[in-house]
Amino acid sequence: MRALEPWVEQPLMTFLTESEARLTLLMTSAGQVVAQHGFTRAVDIMSAAALGAAILSSTEEMARVLGVRPFRALSHQGESHGIFLSAFETPRGRWIGLVVYGQDTSLGLVRLFFDRMVDELMAGVPAEGGPKQVLAQNFESELHSSLRALFGR
Amino acid sequence: MSEDIRVMTAQLAADPTSLVFLPLAEALRQRKRLDAARKVVLAGLSRYPELADAHNLYGRILGDHGDFEQAFDEWGIALRLDPDHAGAHKGIGFLYFVAGKLDQALEHLQAAQATFPDDEGVAAAMARVREALELDGSDAAEPSPTGPARVEEEAEDITEQVFAGLEGAENGLLLVDQHGQRLGGGLLSPAGQDVADRVAAHLAGVSREATRAARLLEMGDWETVTVESGDGNLHLASPTADTVLLVVRQSAIPLGRLAALSERAANAARAWLESLT
Amino acid sequence: MTALYQQSLEGLTRLRGIAGAMVVSADDGLVVAESLMEGIPGDAVAALAASLMRRMGTAVSAAGFTPPSFMHLQAARGALLVVPAGPDILLIAIGDRHINLGLARIEMLQAVEQLG
Repeated sequence: MRALEPWVEQPLMTFLTESEARLTLLMTSAGQVVAQHGFTRAVDIMSAAALGAAILSSTEEMARVLGVRPFRALSHQGESHGIFLSAFETPRGRWIGLVVYGQDTSLGLVRLFFDRMVDELMAGVPAEGGPKQVLAQNFESELHSSLRALFGR
Repeated sequence: MSEDIRVMTAQLAADPTSLVFLPLAEALRQRKRLDAARKVVLAGLSRYPELADAHNLYGRILGDHGDFEQAFDEWGIALRLDPDHAGAHKGIGFLYFVAGKLDQALEHLQAAQATFPDDEGVAAAMARVREALELDGSDAAEPSPTGPARVEEEAEDITEQVFAGLEGAENGLLLVDQHGQRLGGGLLSPAGQDVADRVAAHLAGVSREATRAARLLEMGDWETVTVESGDGNLHLASPTADTVLLVVRQSAIPLGRLAALSERAANAARAWLESLT
Repeated sequence: MTALYQQSLEGLTRLRGIAGAMVVSADDGLVVAESLMEGIPGDAVAALAASLMRRMGTAVSAAGFTPPSFMHLQAARGALLVVPAGPDILLIAIGDRHINLGLARIEMLQAVEQLG
């Protein structure tokens, strides 16, 4: 597990322990990867972050078109792995969580402990640092700079 | 050159900082191209000296080479970087096993199992180490050191002593520690196979799950878990904070009586555990 | 089907000591239908009870036994009861320490028959 900011570590560690998630990615909607667990290749994070953000944007747009409230979370159940994707508001702006889990846990547990992690993050977020403006052109540069920080590149 | 190695080599050539060196080195290792695997992983380690996965992989390559001493060092580095690294624990556990240091081998395999409880390879390795421990007469397989080395028969006597005099002492009563190791008792499947160790390995997880459910649902400490199955009834209790007791009886035995049996067995287990301290 | 679930669940929650009952997807641990007293965290009950049942099922299978047909977790201040109600469906009840276990078990098994 690697996190850019120390206050994210404990809630994420608790989530990982309780949910038994295989891969987890926490990022801002601007593309900055805040923390990751389980990824060994920066290129995978890059793809996952971009795709996760795009999927959430698409479903939010779909909700807008349908005139319903935005979807809180999305999940896909594969044969051996499931994917859970959720956005949540923080004092630092909108964050996105992407979780890949295996058959040794369940969507219910992932969702339960993800919600608890969000509560813990909200309780632990430092006062300083306001939300950043989300610009599409920033996404890639934010992503690359956070990957450099996470992988020491 | 196989396609996956070709693709990964091209990726690494295009971006030498890519972490693709890990799967590439592993693919080369699996194809027994150990020198090439070593070069790739060493180049990766020069860029990512703090990547536990890379040290673990280098340890495996060295182990395949038969260079156990250096492999031990690499897995040691991996564990310093990530104390829960299951691969490194498995590797060091293997080396200790080869060196005949069975206690240490078991310790590291247990650490690996704590991270991946369903890893059949680790479970099989642990069973092998325990078997060797029993044959060796070492007392480290049981957390009940009482003296010098024992022969296998004596070890079996000890496990039976836990429930001595109780019905089912050898089949249907099972005392397990928090790591899923059998402390005493035995269990046969309906087909007559010895399933004690297999079931014991899973009971630690059941106990952890029961503890978590009771805690998060604010129900206090869990006391018992009772299960009915077509082949029999099972009753799980926790005689002490660190142990789990399973009582299994045929379906005809009412659950209430099972609870009474469990209480008697729990008292016996507590007395036995106290006698060891 | 949902109405049938709801009817069965409400019947269970009328039993003394039962604070809630729910139909849950076994694999996912997600609520399908529920009848809960206020303050009972349905999502948590569903996820945790299904997970416990799954782990217990693995242990029972390792023993060479057929899958569990009933599970009861007794804790200091409460109890969880779980009965498989068909493929990938669990009937779960949560109650206090003084639940009438025998009656609850029979009611749950009957409810499962109706649901099946």
